[in-house]
Formats: sequence, structure tokens, C-alpha cells
Amino acid sequence: MLQVARVEAVGAYTLLVLRNDGGEVGAPGQFFMLQADPEPSGAYLSRALSAAWADAGEIAFLLDVRGAGTAALAGAAQVSVLGPLGRGFELHDGPAILVGGGIGAAILPWLVRDLPGPVTTLLGFREQRHAVCAALIDADATVVLEPTYVTEPLARLLPVDATVYACGPDPMLQAVAALCAEHAVRCLLAMEAAMACGFGACYGCAVEIDGEWKRLCVEGPVLEAGRVLAGGHDG
Amino acid sequence: MGSLATRFCGIDLAHPLLNGSGTLDALAAGTLGVSAYVTKTVTLNPRAGNPPQRIAETPQGMVNSIGLANPGLERFCDEHLPRLADLGVPLIVSVGGWSREEYAVAVRRIGAHPAVAALELNVSCPNVDTGCISIGTDPSETRALLERCRAETDRPLLAKLSPSVADVSAVALAAAEGGAAGLVLINTVRGMAIDRDTLQPLLGGGGGGLSGPAVKPVALHAIFHCRAATGLPIAGVGGVACAQDCLEFASAGANVVAVGTGLFRNPGLVEEVVAELPGLLERHGVSTLDDVVGRAHYHQGKALLEVDANHS
Repeated sequence: MLQVARVEAVGAYTLLVLRNDGGEVGAPGQFFMLQADPEPSGAYLSRALSAAWADAGEIAFLLDVRGAGTAALAGAAQVSVLGPLGRGFELHDGPAILVGGGIGAAILPWLVRDLPGPVTTLLGFREQRHAVCAALIDADATVVLEPTYVTEPLARLLPVDATVYACGPDPMLQAVAALCAEHAVRCLLAMEAAMACGFGACYGCAVEIDGEWKRLCVEGPVLEAGRVLAGGHDG
Repeated sequence: MGSLATRFCGIDLAHPLLNGSGTLDALAAGTLGVSAYVTKTVTLNPRAGNPPQRIAETPQGMVNSIGLANPGLERFCDEHLPRLADLGVPLIVSVGGWSREEYAVAVRRIGAHPAVAALELNVSCPNVDTGCISIGTDPSETRALLERCRAETDRPLLAKLSPSVADVSAVALAAAEGGAAGLVLINTVRGMAIDRDTLQPLLGGGGGGLSGPAVKPVALHAIFHCRAATGLPIAGVGGVACAQDCLEFASAGANVVAVGTGLFRNPGLVEEVVAELPGLLERHGVSTLDDVVGRAHYHQGKALLEVDANHS
């Protein structure tokens, strides 16, 4: 059980910072199962969230408060945290392009901090109030708002000798994966699925990986794009 | 302080807490403290399971539409069973199928493995259209299935039944007559969820099975009546979330208790309940869970079902 250090509004989103007691935090892209204390009456399951950043002193999550579960987290006195779980980003040397869509941008600050090479950040949001969080990620980020898609600035950069790290809604990830495949650019996707347990027990988070339904919590949530690209493999 | 050690259908258990089938992958997550490990249901052929979305959160529970995803009998026996044999706890293998013969083939093969303490016949999965639950909704089919499988192994056979039938105690009685050594009650309750934005069915399989504390009263009712109808040992499942629940399930007629959905939100649940249980038993003036089993069937020395009969 970790104490809540602070809760801040970041535009349309909410930043929840927990005081870490030196517990292991894993790598960017891994995730945690979070449960608010006091427990919400309207949400039974834990919430699967990847950290915005994490170290021995604190673990931060950017929340899109939409229902009882996330609302309870935003108002919690303390939070039960299980993790880190799953497989995170493998950090490659050389230039990196970060692509974030909506609340998927939540996991990028940690990547920016840990990536060894130069970083270019491309972010897409519905409205300006969602884009406020760009300041947490990269002051020099390229930000687009709907109806412009984040794949437009990405397409202008390709081909490029860099690794693409992407997180966002499925259609965005598929579009990013397809672009990268077209230009033979290495691409890693952090995906999302409804999860009950987060540790391989419930089989609820099945996603089509390598052509079959597999558990995202075990195989991912970060996957090589070719493993999930609809209609075949890249490279 | 009493002991938690108990015996269920001839299997010696360190304590009365098991997992429900399909709620724990012990090869991925370990046994999480259960006294016997119940596998996910194995079918003759591999199954990919249902398309996503597979789970939906509901008030005090969740609806799942996993669809019996499993590697199939061959791979289960070759790759999983040898590793499961090393878990260090008795193994109960859950079996499903689309015909008596499919169950029989799986029971014969799995029952021959020395590490298997018992087999659970899943005749109650709500996430497949045919087989399985259509057997478990029919007492005579259930009796015939148990008789057929009884001929294939000397291991205890447990029948896992669905509460989504008109009279679960009639199915339980048929299972007992067919040779079941015990019952597992309950499988999930048929349910569904609608996406709040699109107003379409949320789950890829359309409907699903409801689990979690929401189904606890359904489980207690089924256990109570199946106990009265059969007298068979029962593993109670359905929304168990604390030590108090174990006492209530035992009182309804469960000899052991299995946790499932509760593990999803708290992988430490079994260890917590096992730690809490002795003190709670002591407060009730008993030393073992066995002392509580069936207590709800009697009130002031009179059997409740007899009382009911007198009033009808």
C-alpha cells in the first residue's frame, strides 16, 4: 500500500503521484495493478496502468478519469500497487521517435528520461485541454489536435534511422505500425486491453499476437509491431 | 487453536482453500498458497478462446467470455502436466468436452497420470454454445456422462455445475447417481454487459459468465440445496473474498472453498484467509471448518428442509 504524495490536474488529465518505499519499479512500459483505498463501491477490479515515471522515491500515473475506478484513484488516500508486471520497452541505442495518442502519452515521460539517444516526440490529442500533458513529456514535442492525426508528422519523418516507440488507441497503433513496416523502421507498441488480474491468471486480456489470441499481460504490453500488425509481419 | 488440515474426496489438504478452475495459471503465477491446484479446463482439441473483449467489470464482480481457451489434451499432457506435477500440491484437472466420448478420452488419459489427485468434469461453462453446459443442464445427460467417465479412471470425479438451470439439485443428484465423488458449486452465472458508449454487447462472445461477490448468494443457495439433495462433499465457489465467507459457505454445505475472481484483485487472498481463519473459527467456538459444514441445514436441532416440508 503506497501513500498518495500529491494529485494534480494536468489539463483534462490527472497526475497521481505515489510515495514509493524503495520498491522495485521495473522499466518504462511495464504496468501496475492499482486499487484505491478507500475502495470504490462502483469498481470491483484493479486498474492496469503504466507509470508516467517511477523511481525508488515515487511512482507517478497520469489518469484519464472516466469512471468510478479512476475517480477513486484520483481521490484515494493510499493505493494498493501490484507490479511491475509484463514486459516493458527494450531501450535501443540511437535516435528515438516517441509517438503518443491521447492518454497513451501518459507513459512517455519515463521513456524520454531513460532513452540513451536523441528523442523526437510526436503527440496527438482530441483537444487542447488534453494536450497540456505534453509539457510533462518533452518541451519540444510536436503536438497535433484532431482532426489531424499524429501519423501525419510521423509520415513526414520517414524513412529515418531511428526506433519508434508508440502508445495510444489501437487504430493509431495499427497506423503507426503500418507506416513503420512500409519504411522498415523498428517499431515498439505499448498496447492496452481490459484486464482483470494482470498476472496471467484470467486470460481476459487476449489480443491477436503472432496470429493467435494471446495474453497481453504476459506477452506485452509492449510488443514488436510486427507481432500485432493486422495482415502480416513487417520487415 | 485447531487445525486447518482437511480431507476432500479422499485428498489430504493442508487447508480448505483451493482455486476455482480457470482463475489461476500456476505455471505463470505460482500456486498463490492454494492447498490443491485446479487447472483451467482442458478439452480434446486446442481452443483459441473467444474474441476480445473478454472481460467486463460489473457491480461487485465481472462478466467473462474467455471461451475455454486451452492448449488441448495432447499438449496439456505432454507439456503442462509434467510441470504441474512439480507444484507440490495435489492436482485437480478440469475437463470439458462436446460429447461423452470426448470427456472419456480426456479422463482416461489424464486420470492415468500419477500426479492427478482428482478430475473435475466441467459441465457448466457458459461461454460455449454446445457441449459442456448443455450436458450440465440435463440430469440424465449428466448421469450418463458421469457413468461413462467413471469407467475410465479410479480417481475421484467432481462435477462442476451451473446455477443457470431450473433446479441445480436435480443435476447434482444425477451426478451423484452417476458416480460423482463430489460437487463443485458454482460455475459462473450467465450474464452479459452492454458498452455504455456504443450500446452494443461489450463482450466478443456476446454473453458471458458473472463472477465475484455478486454471485455469492446464488452459490450459497446452490450449495445448500445440492448438499441436502446428495450429501456429497462440495467445493464451494462464487465470490469468496474473506474468511467469513468460508464459514458461510461451509455452513451452507461446502467442505472446502475455492477462490477465483477474488484472486484477480488480490493475489495474496488465499494466504490472508488462511491466516485469518483459525481465529475466526475459534470465535465461533469450533476448531475446524469441518465443524461448521452443513450447520445452516439445522435450526434449533431441526432440519430446515424438514421444517419446510411440515409447512408446505
